[in-house]
Amino acid sequence: MAKTKQEKLEAKLEREYYRKHRSQIKKTPADRVFDVINYTMFGCFTLICIFPFYYLFINTISDNKLVQKGLISFFPRGINFDNYIRILQVNDLFRSIGVTFARTFLGTAMMVGASALVGYLVTRQEMWGRSIWYRFIVVTMYFNAGIIPWFLNMSMLGLTNNFLAYVIPGIVAPYNIILVKTYIESSIPMELQETAKLDGATSLQIFFKVIWPLSKPILATIAIFGAVGQWNSFQDSLILMQSAPELYTLQHRLYIYLNASSNLSALMSAGSTSGISQSVLDSALNGKVIKYTISMVTIIPILCVYPFMQRYFEKGIMLGAVKG
Amino acid sequence: MDKTKSTNKIYYLYRILALFIFLLLFFPAVNPARISSLISKSTSLLTTGLSYSRLVENMGRPLKKLWVLPSTMQLLRYSAVGIDIGICLAAAGACLSPGNRRCKKLGGFLSLAGGILSLIGMIGIRTSYVQISATEKPDKINPVLPGSYVPILIMFALMILLSLFLILTAGKAEKGEPFFMEEKYRLFLLLLPFLLLTLVFSYLPLWGLRYAFFDYKAGDTLSMDNFVGFKWFTMLIRNAQTRKDILRVLKNTLAMSGLGLLTSWCPMAFAIFLSEIKNARFRRIVQTFTTIPNFISWVLVFAIAFCIFSTDGFISSMMINAGIWEQGKNFLMDGSHTWLKMLLWGMWKGLGWSAIIYIAGISGIDQTLYEAATVDGAGRFQRMWHITVPGLMPTFYVLFLMAVAGALNNGLDQYLVFENTSNTSAIQVLDLYVYKMGIVNGSIPFSTAVGMLKSVVSVILLFFANGVSKKLRGETII
Repeated sequence: MAKTKQEKLEAKLEREYYRKHRSQIKKTPADRVFDVINYTMFGCFTLICIFPFYYLFINTISDNKLVQKGLISFFPRGINFDNYIRILQVNDLFRSIGVTFARTFLGTAMMVGASALVGYLVTRQEMWGRSIWYRFIVVTMYFNAGIIPWFLNMSMLGLTNNFLAYVIPGIVAPYNIILVKTYIESSIPMELQETAKLDGATSLQIFFKVIWPLSKPILATIAIFGAVGQWNSFQDSLILMQSAPELYTLQHRLYIYLNASSNLSALMSAGSTSGISQSVLDSALNGKVIKYTISMVTIIPILCVYPFMQRYFEKGIMLGAVKG
Repeated sequence: MDKTKSTNKIYYLYRILALFIFLLLFFPAVNPARISSLISKSTSLLTTGLSYSRLVENMGRPLKKLWVLPSTMQLLRYSAVGIDIGICLAAAGACLSPGNRRCKKLGGFLSLAGGILSLIGMIGIRTSYVQISATEKPDKINPVLPGSYVPILIMFALMILLSLFLILTAGKAEKGEPFFMEEKYRLFLLLLPFLLLTLVFSYLPLWGLRYAFFDYKAGDTLSMDNFVGFKWFTMLIRNAQTRKDILRVLKNTLAMSGLGLLTSWCPMAFAIFLSEIKNARFRRIVQTFTTIPNFISWVLVFAIAFCIFSTDGFISSMMINAGIWEQGKNFLMDGSHTWLKMLLWGMWKGLGWSAIIYIAGISGIDQTLYEAATVDGAGRFQRMWHITVPGLMPTFYVLFLMAVAGALNNGLDQYLVFENTSNTSAIQVLDLYVYKMGIVNGSIPFSTAVGMLKSVVSVILLFFANGVSKKLRGETII
């Protein structure tokens, strides 16, 4: 809250500055032309980025008959939310949503907990063989056996068609460990740990009472990016869950629906194991609207956490930069 | 003194043995409980104990016809449970061994108990093997005592002997001596589970690369009989069809990566021009909305593409409603300009996000430079070109070199979701090709070989980029 206030204040100051100095900053005609072009370009690109989401949304809440005729282009008509209610009656989809939420929560929680603990442990100089073990973990960022050996390994471990495949392999995330380690070393004074040690705290107590609360900012960053990653991941479901449709993630389910024919009956046989309930059949829900609505259901959680993510962008971009 | 030294050596032997035994739990290849070929090859000792349904998943008929008695399988299962628990006890004992005498003693007893429990489990497995051998349909059941049975038996016996020895040599702990272990070992033990996870999920897959040298079909075992050396690698060159495919795939891969490299200045330009916008609110809105696409998956990008460009999507409906087209067109099924389209989708998704690092960079540039330049009479573009761009160059170099290093790793998702019958020849990049060959078509050795070559070239590229970076800028990127 304080942060947004400060930002607002800064913006206000900036505006005032320009208002005051407007007479001094003379705009040449060339400057004006540049500004017009610049604003237009950015305006257009922003529209291109955001309009598809809007289009998708208005089509899911409009009257299905109008949608079918392609008459909804810019404004919703006949607003209703029936599609969302009906879509939840599709059993497979409901289960996929559950699986996806479960993996997102479990996977993220385990990853964050492990990154925090490992990140802390590798800052402890007195550990036996510390630098070797740290390198042992970090170097895995730079090599990768490839998709087939990975698949064979997972099936060798019995993690095919198994929910655990979504959460366990992601527990140790080297880059997040580096982030936490750097944060602890740079932002949490050693004196705090020393004092706690003098007071008789064990390593784990120091971790829970000192490190964990103080490294919340970095943990929030890795949590939110980790959660989006979990929500979006699709390959593991596609490759590992080949004979367990009940464990398909939402992304995988959406992929199947998008590729199925727009014909509803074909859609049902292609995408579902248990079929769509009769009430859905009776309704005017058609293939196109099903696809749009599932897409929307998949996007909405991302859009919900997005505002909270924004303030972690600076750290997050580092995440992307080093991983890439 | 000598005595403690030799005891220490035995402790190391004991810990390594415990680690080995512990890892046994996760490897189906050495599962001593696989006493029939009907038990799936991917069943590890741990799975055998944990999931009865997986153990008997292929045994529906034999169990129904009573070729195999359910009690045999139950015995097998509970033997495995015993071994699982025993192994965990033994491992826990080994973890206690770096502590003081009291810890060592307790650890020894735990390992002893674990070893004995595992041994009993092994006897149970043997018993169920004897029972299953008596079946009336040996050709269907294929009872076999796994080759790993005896070595594992020996390992358990060794475990028992070692822990007995250690209990005896640990000496008597003084009365009231508390459990104690040095800090450095306790910290290590806390880290150990994560090290094992790293070992299993990041290092172990490398062992799977050996499939590239065997003639392997799903379900086979690897043995020297089907060792084929470099057959799959030479096939890439010798077989005309494969050669053609690989060249096409390589062309696509390099073309798309190349386009990406050619446009890698775009995020920087985006950031620079955005910073020229003086209206903070507008800037904020642009940044917020152009970043959203980065956070949706490629499947969702495809869903977006679908709602805009398909037969009844936005563009088609607009054109039909305006009376320009008679019927809708499906742009997604159009196979022309595939590389360019993929590039544009990539930019739609990533441009705003990639610009953030440059925006952060711009705010780090010394403002007095701009003021000085203005005083010297530099115009807007001169300031951009002579101050902002050089200020961002270091970041650009790093990202560019990283992109060079990753030129062969286009990823799979984007190309997989956009692939269809009409664009398949232009969209197949190496990652997609490997996926198709290995997972969809099942030619595991061949696709492993291709993936392996890809990894090797990628590592070379990485070192090359790193070397260039070191030479040009005196800094490494890894």
